[in-house]
Amino acid sequence: MISVEYDYANARIRAMKSRLLDRKELEELAGKLDLESVINQLEETPYREDIESASVKYTGIACVEYALRQSLSNTFRLILSFVKGEDTQTLMEIFLNRWDIQNIKTILRGKNIHEPANEILESLAPAGALDDATLVALTKQLDVKAVIDLLATWGIEYSRPLTQHFKEYSERKDLVVLEYALDKFYYEHALSVAAGESYDEGIIRGMLTREIDVTNIKSVLRIIRDKVELEDAQYYFIRGGKELDVNKLSALSATRTIDGVIKQLTGTSYDFLASVPDEYVKMEKISAFEKELDTFLLHKALGLFTGDPLSIALAIGYLWAKLNEIANIRIIALCKTEYVPEKELMEELVFV
Amino acid sequence: MEQVHPTRMELIKKNGQIKLAEQGRDLLRQKMDALIQEFFHIMISVSKSREELDIAAIAAQRSLCVAEAVDDLTALKSASFATKRALTLDIRGKNIMGVPVPLVERKTVTKSVLERGYSMIGTSGRIDETAERYETELDLIIGLAETETSLRRLGDEIQMNRRRVNALEQVLIPELKRQAKYIKIAIGEREREDLYRLKKVKKIIEQNAKKKKQTAASVAAA
Repeated sequence: MISVEYDYANARIRAMKSRLLDRKELEELAGKLDLESVINQLEETPYREDIESASVKYTGIACVEYALRQSLSNTFRLILSFVKGEDTQTLMEIFLNRWDIQNIKTILRGKNIHEPANEILESLAPAGALDDATLVALTKQLDVKAVIDLLATWGIEYSRPLTQHFKEYSERKDLVVLEYALDKFYYEHALSVAAGESYDEGIIRGMLTREIDVTNIKSVLRIIRDKVELEDAQYYFIRGGKELDVNKLSALSATRTIDGVIKQLTGTSYDFLASVPDEYVKMEKISAFEKELDTFLLHKALGLFTGDPLSIALAIGYLWAKLNEIANIRIIALCKTEYVPEKELMEELVFV
Repeated sequence: MEQVHPTRMELIKKNGQIKLAEQGRDLLRQKMDALIQEFFHIMISVSKSREELDIAAIAAQRSLCVAEAVDDLTALKSASFATKRALTLDIRGKNIMGVPVPLVERKTVTKSVLERGYSMIGTSGRIDETAERYETELDLIIGLAETETSLRRLGDEIQMNRRRVNALEQVLIPELKRQAKYIKIAIGEREREDLYRLKKVKKIIEQNAKKKKQTAASVAAA
């Protein structure tokens, strides 16, 4: 890609970033009395068009959900249209592929319990590189094997780990085998695509390795909480983390306490976990740690805004910021429907 | 009143029936007292479990709302597909004062993250916490199903017993007593009639004897 194209893309992305809702606007939304007021307020933001088109089909929380999905889907499409060049698009698609993985997992889970195709279709994320026609065709397959076969017939790369592990799945009758195979394939594949020396690849690789660390720490915490056998623990870790390799993760699991994990993480980038209140440590409330880890990852992603303007950094940073904004709006809207107290609602929001 | 034979045998029979009915009533009352005691004993645990269930349900609902909000509805629905749906329970029976009540196997539904059927990657601890809260709620529902069914069956039995006691006390025993009274009155009446008849016969015999005497005297005089 030539720098002129980046100039245009970055100018557009910076303009889009300036339109993201700031803390004050989100707090104003959270302060609204009910969902109707939240929707009215959203109509005065860049979500106006999405809300208007959603309100034709839906009302209430369904309207907000639909509008947010539309907004996310449009944003991805727009960002991809800015980014020209095969290599850069491949790198951008790594970010989108996580939704493909989630969607394939959902289809496999649905087929495993013989859920109707329309039910599965409703549970798919409106993002990812796989188009709607592919997803519809996959949901219409008879069973797990037929889904994998169709993926293989169409030459979709996710069929490889699934075909490799299908025998094990058939023997154990445990879908988790296929899910882990897919997850591991995603990260291995993504790291191999971003293995080069270019600045863009470095950015993608940096985010991926951080994400692997964060995902692995979350797994360690859940393994400890549910007292999973140490011999089994290694199976659930993804290789390729920035600071934590499988041996280190096994050592973390071996501490058998969350307190122990926090102590072992001293000196790493993840020692901020020590700031999680003691009551959550005692209660083994993993979601509190996950929120800290996700916020850390978000900080890292938003830090990309200060990176080289003539690179993919801004696009990646913007996508993370947009995802966070959508998550915050969804939290506000859903909490308003359930009349969750404002204090509790504010605790769930992530401001960076 | 039902057709009764006002005989002494019938009276003895009725008195026997009254005694049996009163014994039955007393036994049913004793059974009812025992059932009521058991009923209240179970009711205390039911109301306690109900309160626990209400709290657990509110916590689970709140947790689900937050998980839906933070993790996205699609991720949550996807995770729900992965969880196994069948739940097999072993239900046996036991007797409380002759009332058959179910005995549900106390099987804990709470699962570990590995048993829920979804991988840890792509799902969050928040989803685990929500699942765990609903599993706790399900545990309480299973426990409550046993005690509430027992309570309902005991309640039905108490009601049926009360109806039986009332039927004995207010219909059968008074009816038997009325019949016995009627027989007694009828027998007394008959005895009085017999006495009067005997007196009358005696009087007639005496009059006849007197007439015969007078006739004999007049014949002799003539």
